[in-house]
Amino acid sequence: MTATARVALREIERGIPGASRVRASMRLEFSRDSSTDDTFLAESLQEPPLKVVRAFTLPDGAALVHLHNVSGGLLGGDQLALQVNLGSATGVQLTTTGATRIYRCREEFSPTTQSNVIFVGEDSLLEYLPDAIIPFAGSHYVQRTSIDLSADAGLFWWEIVAPGREARGELFEYRHFEMRTRVAALGRKIAAENICLRPADWNVGSLARLGAYRHSATFYICHVGRDARYWRAAEDHVRGLTSSLSRPGEILWGVSSLVAHGLVVRCLARNGRNILPGLQTIWCGAKLHLYGCEAILPRKVN
Amino acid sequence: MKADDAKSDHLSCSEDLAFLRLLQLADTALPIGALAHSFGLESLVAAEILTAGKLPEFLHGYLQEAGMLEAVACREASQLARPQVESFPAARWIEINDYLSALKPARESRTASAVLGRNFLQATLLLGDFPVLRAAREASLRSASLIHHSTAFGLVSATFGFDESRAVLAYLHQMAASLVSACQRLLPVGQNEATGILWNLKPAIIETADRGATCSLDEASCFMPLLDWGAMEHPALATRLFIS
Repeated sequence: MTATARVALREIERGIPGASRVRASMRLEFSRDSSTDDTFLAESLQEPPLKVVRAFTLPDGAALVHLHNVSGGLLGGDQLALQVNLGSATGVQLTTTGATRIYRCREEFSPTTQSNVIFVGEDSLLEYLPDAIIPFAGSHYVQRTSIDLSADAGLFWWEIVAPGREARGELFEYRHFEMRTRVAALGRKIAAENICLRPADWNVGSLARLGAYRHSATFYICHVGRDARYWRAAEDHVRGLTSSLSRPGEILWGVSSLVAHGLVVRCLARNGRNILPGLQTIWCGAKLHLYGCEAILPRKVN
Repeated sequence: MKADDAKSDHLSCSEDLAFLRLLQLADTALPIGALAHSFGLESLVAAEILTAGKLPEFLHGYLQEAGMLEAVACREASQLARPQVESFPAARWIEINDYLSALKPARESRTASAVLGRNFLQATLLLGDFPVLRAAREASLRSASLIHHSTAFGLVSATFGFDESRAVLAYLHQMAASLVSACQRLLPVGQNEATGILWNLKPAIIETADRGATCSLDEASCFMPLLDWGAMEHPALATRLFIS
């Protein structure tokens, strides 16, 4: 396990009792090939069940990587760490091969933990486009994500949280769902999120939280170096997209400028079907607006 | 700043005087602009999501989430101006406010909190010579950092020698009172009903302050996606009573 990933895991472990089942980390280092200008996976450290088969080169020279968990989901006691470093002037697209399932956590096991430490180098672009996280009944999940953006770095990062296995009628039956996300640009925090949901203690469907909606998603769109006026205009542009996607009672989309260097999009939905297509629509529109080029939808593999 | 200067910030006043001062600073009628903001409630009402009947439940949830976060921020800021602090820790002051800014996803609500914080600090600076408050304002200006209402309230309260826990309770109470007041203008909520709602919220305010006392700012969580959506969509409302 790499040093940074270890530190991040230790931070999560503090104060968490119980036996751990798996400790695994994955470190991916991306560099730019000076002869082709393509991004390539320069170094890849993988410990099971985390797996990356290979990096695919996209038409724009970016590298597409599928993050696999060969165990099929996250079990109680799993302690997983992901570290991704993008070197200067690289482009990387990360996606998953399916939803991240968080299985029931047995009482004797410590919570399922996932730590993500991300560094985006100068003039690089990271697109993190995963499927939803589904916390099963009885699951106990703790996630920590830290993203550092350098000068002129860009980020498209979304996360979707489902209420459980809806098809089984399982809604908010997880024990504990915790997510801490920090996004910093040039060393200063520009976005942060601290979610801690314990449905047995507090009603997640309260009007102050999700209301009548069940799914939520957050999408960060950043490009370091643009000024506040630029982001106000970008907010208006993206609001045109979010307004066209909103259908009150079914799905709501909202957008706002961050304190600096970016936008955040929020989504609440009655069912999860329309979230991913909506995020893709916003991503395509925002990428065209910010970078003047088309977004390339990630090819899925199984 | 030297220790003597810091100590001179703390007014020597009787408990009664401190109580009256706290009452004034926590009054929603304090002219800092609190009545002009709904923090996204206006959008929820316009979308017919928030109704008069659902208001008590909403406010309870609001206190559990946003109330808890602001209570922790208020307490952490107040600790920067305790009598035993020798020099004002400007870097920590900036850090707390920057983190709070990062946690507020909706621009209008973030700006509203910062306007109230700035106005609150400015109003109290006019009440005398308080080096800690001046240092805080100057540090924020230098680093282009926002000053949030909860942090300004905490810092001012400690500077004026108010009891920390009482100050947090007072902050939460004025926060709840401001929201109830906004809802009186947005919803069919009469004066007697509003009085009853705020009266019944007091145990929840105490519970929130108690929970916040054992939590660090880094640990404090807040999950209010529906209100975030309301605050994000507020600029797009055709008719608006409130700035946020």
